[in-house]
Amino acid sequence: MPSSRRAFLGAAGALLLTGCSSDVLGLRRAVRVAVSWSGQELRAFHKVLDGLGTLEYPVEVVPLGDDISTAFGARSTRRPDIVMLPQPGLVPRHLDDLEPMPDDLAPLGRARLWDELLTHNGTTYGVPFKTAHKSAVWYRPSVFEQAGVQPPRLWSEWLTVNRTLTQAGITPLSLAAGDGWVLTDFLENVLLGIAPSVYVGLAAATDPRPSRQPQFGAALRLLGTMWSAPGALAGGVKESLVQQFPDALIEVFGHRRAAMVLASDFAEPVVRSFAADPDDIGLFTFPPMSPGAAAPVVVGGDVMVLPKPTRDDARDLVRRLSAPAAADPWIKEGGFLVDGRVSGYTPELTRLAMQLTKPGEQLQFDLSDQLGRLGDINGLWRVLTDFLVQVGGRGAAVVPGAVDDAINELRTVEES
Amino acid sequence: MGLQTNGLSLEIVGREISGRPVPGKPRRPAGPYLLGLPALVLSCLLLVPIGVTVVAAFRTPAGFGFGNFAVMTDPGALRAVGNSLLWVLVAFGIVVIGFFLALLSYRLPAVTTFLQPALVIPFAVSVLVSGATFRLLFDPTPERGTVTAVWTWLFGTSPVWLGPGLFWLVLVSAFGWTWLGYVVSLFRAGLDAIPDDVTRTLTAEGVRGWRRLRALEIPLLRPITGVVTLTVVIAAVRVFDLILIVVPGSMQRSADVLGLNWWRATTSGDDPGRTAALGVVLFAIVAAVGLIGVRGLRRRRWAMPVTVVRPDPSLGRPKPRRSVRRFGWLVGLAVALVWIFPAVVLVITALHSPAEAGVRGWWSASGLGFSSFAAAANVGLFRALLSTLIIASAATAVLLVIAVPTAYLVAWGGLPMRVGRTVMAVFVVLAVTPVQMYAAPLRDAIDAAGLAGSRIALALVHAAAGLPFAVLLLRSAFASAPPALVSEALQGPVRQSAVLATVQRTYRPALIAVAVLEFALVWNDFIVGFLISGPGTTPLSLVLWGEARQFSASSGPVAAAAVVASIVPVVLMLSFWRTVVRGLTTGSRP
Repeated sequence: MPSSRRAFLGAAGALLLTGCSSDVLGLRRAVRVAVSWSGQELRAFHKVLDGLGTLEYPVEVVPLGDDISTAFGARSTRRPDIVMLPQPGLVPRHLDDLEPMPDDLAPLGRARLWDELLTHNGTTYGVPFKTAHKSAVWYRPSVFEQAGVQPPRLWSEWLTVNRTLTQAGITPLSLAAGDGWVLTDFLENVLLGIAPSVYVGLAAATDPRPSRQPQFGAALRLLGTMWSAPGALAGGVKESLVQQFPDALIEVFGHRRAAMVLASDFAEPVVRSFAADPDDIGLFTFPPMSPGAAAPVVVGGDVMVLPKPTRDDARDLVRRLSAPAAADPWIKEGGFLVDGRVSGYTPELTRLAMQLTKPGEQLQFDLSDQLGRLGDINGLWRVLTDFLVQVGGRGAAVVPGAVDDAINELRTVEES
Repeated sequence: MGLQTNGLSLEIVGREISGRPVPGKPRRPAGPYLLGLPALVLSCLLLVPIGVTVVAAFRTPAGFGFGNFAVMTDPGALRAVGNSLLWVLVAFGIVVIGFFLALLSYRLPAVTTFLQPALVIPFAVSVLVSGATFRLLFDPTPERGTVTAVWTWLFGTSPVWLGPGLFWLVLVSAFGWTWLGYVVSLFRAGLDAIPDDVTRTLTAEGVRGWRRLRALEIPLLRPITGVVTLTVVIAAVRVFDLILIVVPGSMQRSADVLGLNWWRATTSGDDPGRTAALGVVLFAIVAAVGLIGVRGLRRRRWAMPVTVVRPDPSLGRPKPRRSVRRFGWLVGLAVALVWIFPAVVLVITALHSPAEAGVRGWWSASGLGFSSFAAAANVGLFRALLSTLIIASAATAVLLVIAVPTAYLVAWGGLPMRVGRTVMAVFVVLAVTPVQMYAAPLRDAIDAAGLAGSRIALALVHAAAGLPFAVLLLRSAFASAPPALVSEALQGPVRQSAVLATVQRTYRPALIAVAVLEFALVWNDFIVGFLISGPGTTPLSLVLWGEARQFSASSGPVAAAAVVASIVPVVLMLSFWRTVVRGLTTGSRP
């Protein structure tokens, strides 16, 4: 049937031609936005983009997951125009790769706390898009009531709560050890709680050597005490190791096999969408390590940076995204904090937002981001994973040995 | 003149000799060489970057030498080499298992009725999709993971399947699920082509069991074994995205393979000389395996005589008894059901809402609907699908246009013996070259040319990468029916239907096989697109980077995206599978 074949080919050709708009062929330059978000967060970001209205340029979102730092590697392909950097601590290390922010946006990067990382010699290199409160513990109030315990107000109380829960047959903790940053967040909270000056010193050092700080070992020991308690971790170490961040939340709120989980504010949409009982959701912030000390608050966030060389379209998109109302669609989805804003959230997130803006709190940026290679997947992530494997559920007796091993491993990474 | 008897048709074509015989060598016209020119230009897309990589690997600040290969003493790189070699072993294991399964299906008639499509589907989907499917199956919670649930139900407790050490089981299952169908199909085609009289003679002589295997099947299937081993081993050494999607982040360094190690080294800004050295080591392993595989092919001529006349059905294998047929039918059905099961799990998971799929397994009856598809569509899946369609079509078209004349030149262009052999050797080496050997220089060149992100550039790279295999395949098909014979048949005084039938039976399947395989390969590609034009362009990379960070919480959208991305290659493969198998085996029939 030559005629029908010809018709088919013609139709296919026409279809291809219409499909080959310069946009799809990759000839028209889209503004490429590299993000680390996935799943619900990624969808929420797409909603934010949709909410910006019609733009004069196509926008392409490139999800890079945990490999986001490759976005401005020296040999990166198709360098993105905007990077939503989830580790603001990386900004000072990449100043040469970054374009300064336009003058009208620069003040946004000089907000409290952010200016240390985003501003250098009076030039602003990034503006915050999303703030993360990394010292939040989500829990189920029903099991706390069942065991007769209250959210802890001190680290020592937390250990007692865990013990009481275990005795009542309830697994206290769920831990997402499959994601290394969950482990480093835990350690950072403890370290910031016991030795803020050491924390700040390590964050500022050009060649940080945490293995030489006795306080670092002390923080590991405290952490080991909690992790090593028999029956403390849901599913034991093996299952913790394969759990990603949302899995640990589902373990607590979906399958109800554990009582609480250290997670950030951005855990909220996962908690709410998977909770078996939507009313059984509680939140407390990381308690102070000792009476009289300030509670540690580890802050993270995603900052918008412009890799060199940039274009007007990219600057325009940053401007639109940093408008106060831009993030509203995401705030509606939950799990989004805007720097300096304390209203419009759910009650839980409002509490976290208040703590972030309250003067006198022990606020510090995520340490592992500022340690360079030492803080990433081959450094602290690996050390803490091995540490967890050594201590998890094995009792306090193994902790000192495991701490020594971890410090030695860290030293090897430092020296390499 | 023609002669026909007993279903055998003989045709003799003669022509008068004109002019007198002249001494000396025949003149070789230069014209046909032009046929190879496009292929040469296209191959330079690979050859030049490969040269650059090799030079970079041996260039050290102190001059040329092996200094960069010190990278191999790094424990991480050593582990990666070890794991890559382990994958080669896995590939051999799959070939052996596939051989015996094919033998079983050959001896047990009627098994293939249902088995064939069940085996083809996994081969049509990408490794990334099968990785995602098996990660769903082996999820560590009994509420979500099928295997964990069954194990817990049977024994009260279950090992953590994705945990240390055990993740290998998940990786190997996913890989085997993808490739076993291909292996079995090809072996089965080879077994079917064994002439019946040979089988009968051996049976009459009482040769059975192991002796029969060694006397009959193994030697006769050697050429096919070569093709099969080659493709599976190359796939095993190239494993990359499978590990990224299956293995949880905390264990990825113990599952590291050379390809991944190379990628991490390039992205973390390691010295380019050292990463080039890693690439060369990977290449050396693959090339060694490839050359051994091709040696197996060379034992026989590539172009095998093809049955010109359809054998008389009454002379075929005796029809087995009805009870035997029914038994084989049932076994086939059972195996097919087991084999198709992962695909069913994937589809049903995709039909659950994201919230339901994140908490409960596919067997849960609540939350059914299309909301997971909607969620997957939200992150730009269809835009990526359209772009993949364009890339795959363009690559296939370019490939066919360039590979056909080249294969003709190699088969019948009258190349001098030595040149012909060299060309074939170069094509074999190019066919097995891992993408890491040319990715870095090529992408730098594309970036420098201002073509970064251009789909056309990517399609050309795909066509160049597919060219060697296409030429090898088409050459053996063309070689089985000489062009003189074809033109005689077309223009001669008598239309020689037998010859035309030969052409139909050899050229066409080979062409279809090349087109279908290239299209599916490009459609399912992750690594070439990822390394050449960065993440975010292909649907699969969107699935991986967009969802894998929260794998089980996004089970629904992951499954939905995987299903959508698999429909086209599955339909294509199912409709053309028989032809593809024939095309793949024409040149290597016993």
